[in-house]
Amino acid sequence: MDAITLTKVTKTFGTTTAVNDLSLKVPKGSVYGFIGPNGSGKTTTLRMILNIFYPDSGNIQFPDFPNGAGVSDRIGYMPEERGIYTRMKVADLLKFMAALKGKWKIGAEIDQWLKRLDLDSWANRKVETLSKGMSQKVQFLATIVARPNIVILDEPFSGLDPVNSEAIREIILELQKDGATVIFSTHDMNVAERMCDFIFMIHKGKKVLDGTLSSIQDEYGTDTVRLRAEGGVKHLQDLAQVEKVIDFGQEQQLKTAPGCDHRQLLTQILERTTVLSFDVIKPSLNDIFIRIAGPTAGEKNYA
Amino acid sequence: MRKVIALAIREYVASVKTKGFIIGLVLAPLMMGGSILAFALLKDRVDTTDRTMAIIDHSGVMEAYLIEAAENYNENEILDEETGKKIKPAYYFEGIAPTENMPDLRLQLSDQIRDGELFAFLEIGAEVVHPGEDEELKRIHYHAKNAAMDDLRSWLNWPINNQLRRLRLEDAGIQESGIPDLFYWVNVDGLGLITVDDSGDIEDAKRASEIEALLVPIIIMMLMFMMIMMTVPGMLQSVMEEKTQRIAEVLLGSIKPFQFMLGKLLGGLAVSFTSISVYLVAGIGTVRYMGFSEYFPFHILPWFVTYMLLAVIMFGAMSASLGATCSEAKDAQSLSFPAMLPVFFPMFIYFFVAKEPLSTFATVCSLIPPFTPLLMLLRQATPEQIPLWQPIAGLIGVLAYTILSVWMGGRLFRVAILMQGTPPKLSNILRWAIKG
Repeated sequence: MDAITLTKVTKTFGTTTAVNDLSLKVPKGSVYGFIGPNGSGKTTTLRMILNIFYPDSGNIQFPDFPNGAGVSDRIGYMPEERGIYTRMKVADLLKFMAALKGKWKIGAEIDQWLKRLDLDSWANRKVETLSKGMSQKVQFLATIVARPNIVILDEPFSGLDPVNSEAIREIILELQKDGATVIFSTHDMNVAERMCDFIFMIHKGKKVLDGTLSSIQDEYGTDTVRLRAEGGVKHLQDLAQVEKVIDFGQEQQLKTAPGCDHRQLLTQILERTTVLSFDVIKPSLNDIFIRIAGPTAGEKNYA
Repeated sequence: MRKVIALAIREYVASVKTKGFIIGLVLAPLMMGGSILAFALLKDRVDTTDRTMAIIDHSGVMEAYLIEAAENYNENEILDEETGKKIKPAYYFEGIAPTENMPDLRLQLSDQIRDGELFAFLEIGAEVVHPGEDEELKRIHYHAKNAAMDDLRSWLNWPINNQLRRLRLEDAGIQESGIPDLFYWVNVDGLGLITVDDSGDIEDAKRASEIEALLVPIIIMMLMFMMIMMTVPGMLQSVMEEKTQRIAEVLLGSIKPFQFMLGKLLGGLAVSFTSISVYLVAGIGTVRYMGFSEYFPFHILPWFVTYMLLAVIMFGAMSASLGATCSEAKDAQSLSFPAMLPVFFPMFIYFFVAKEPLSTFATVCSLIPPFTPLLMLLRQATPEQIPLWQPIAGLIGVLAYTILSVWMGGRLFRVAILMQGTPPKLSNILRWAIKG
């Protein structure tokens, strides 16, 4: 069962097509990662799901809310550029945000949430007195305090230290366990790889990736070699069957040409230097992202 | 609707809990009351420094009389009868003989005025008693640093014209002693219309008073102006802040743009009603305590409340939607004045409307919807009987205009609230408001 389905959705602003003929199904109870370069159409897609923007064509449906009524009460949204009333007290702000979702008497729940994120002693302080990290946590709580069925988070981890990132990550996964569907956008490919059941990538308004991490990696095959060799990158120039070499200093990564014979490649390198390690791996999400959106991206890689 | 109420409550609390609101609530009536009190206290307070004036009398028949009149005035009018305290300046006049070179003499006297040796000089034309064809010869010229606003000049009118009449009568062979009440001046008393009281008895007309005719209507209109100004400009600013601080985007995840605007308007209305409740209770209490109840037009209170409600919604919708078009503080600054122009305009013309509330100009202006709340109320607060169809027509106009403002404001708000970096040019604003 899907929580959200987008069918042939297009949105233009003037002469710019921000989202082009996008179809997407977000399964209920999943964690769905939205990735894509800046300005690719992620936020526009999220805003259309939230009904802040209306699509020019196509439609967005919530199967649990067939006529759309009441759906906004069941979606929690945290935009990328944080916005909260800084002159309100923390607890009052959370009560207000819950009231906007139709939940009025949840003082006890708010206390619990504040305690969980070490904000209980700040409940009666104004938001403007909090540090940036603390106000990020307050904004996150404001998003989930009404226990929404769908949680949409635009860059939820940006600006957070590792401890707070971990706390937020735990809560997101807990919400998922309780049945919530979580969509979040991120530029951190490691986070997307570790947390998301499904990953969707949009580039120039078009869907370029959609599926589980392993299915996406399968599409790209085993075209990557992770290598440690004496002398490093200087011995890896102009290798046959290698399209690209990325140097990490102690380690190099080779993108091989389609149909590459890895045994021949290893022999070729051994003729030049001593090989300390040689692993044939699937490309990381980060690699795939760069291949699609990087300056040398080729259309052939697009899904 | 509960979401709109939640937003309205937040707006209300955010406004009334500020020190600015509380201080404004106390200070505004204090300043208004204070300025009225200051006017009342200071209007009779004059500079009591004695005035010395030179008289060049080309006619030869006025100087002695004016000097005598000044002496009489100094003896009888400059001291308070009860306290003996000096309340007006004494006037000392000295005659100066005309010379061959009058321009030179006038310059000398002007220099003396500049140096503070003289206060003014008066030049009386040779044919002032029996004016002939020559305009210059029948004139009286008064020269001073500020001749337009001068009590001495005003005072001079009285003895000069008395003396002129006396001389003319003498020349006609009529002696003043034969007609003792010749110069007895009768004032025309202004009275209102005769009315019938509740028991059917005819009541005496009330004495027409400037307080009732001008001061009370103007205070009531100012109160309405204050109510609008306490709420409406803040809406533009707060929507702009919500947009630039990205709060709007969070809110729009929960509520529709129109609900957003409505919440702000309701919050603003609640703020206005809080203020007006305080002012009305305090104002009516003061009016009763000071015994001015007869001057207060209690019958316009329902109109006041209705117009205030509509004015806050009407101007608030425009202000909030213009706030939504601003992407930075300087946009809001440049839009603040045009947004408030319909509120300011009545302040430029209120005096003419209050003075002649039944004139065509007053009627037409008060029927233009954005001006109706202030100007119609002003007219209704005067003692004049405004035909009932006019406030009703005005109300219908305001109601229609309010609906239009909210509708267009809602469209503008929806389009503009998430639009960043597009300057609020007039062409953009009109396009967004009309096309949506």
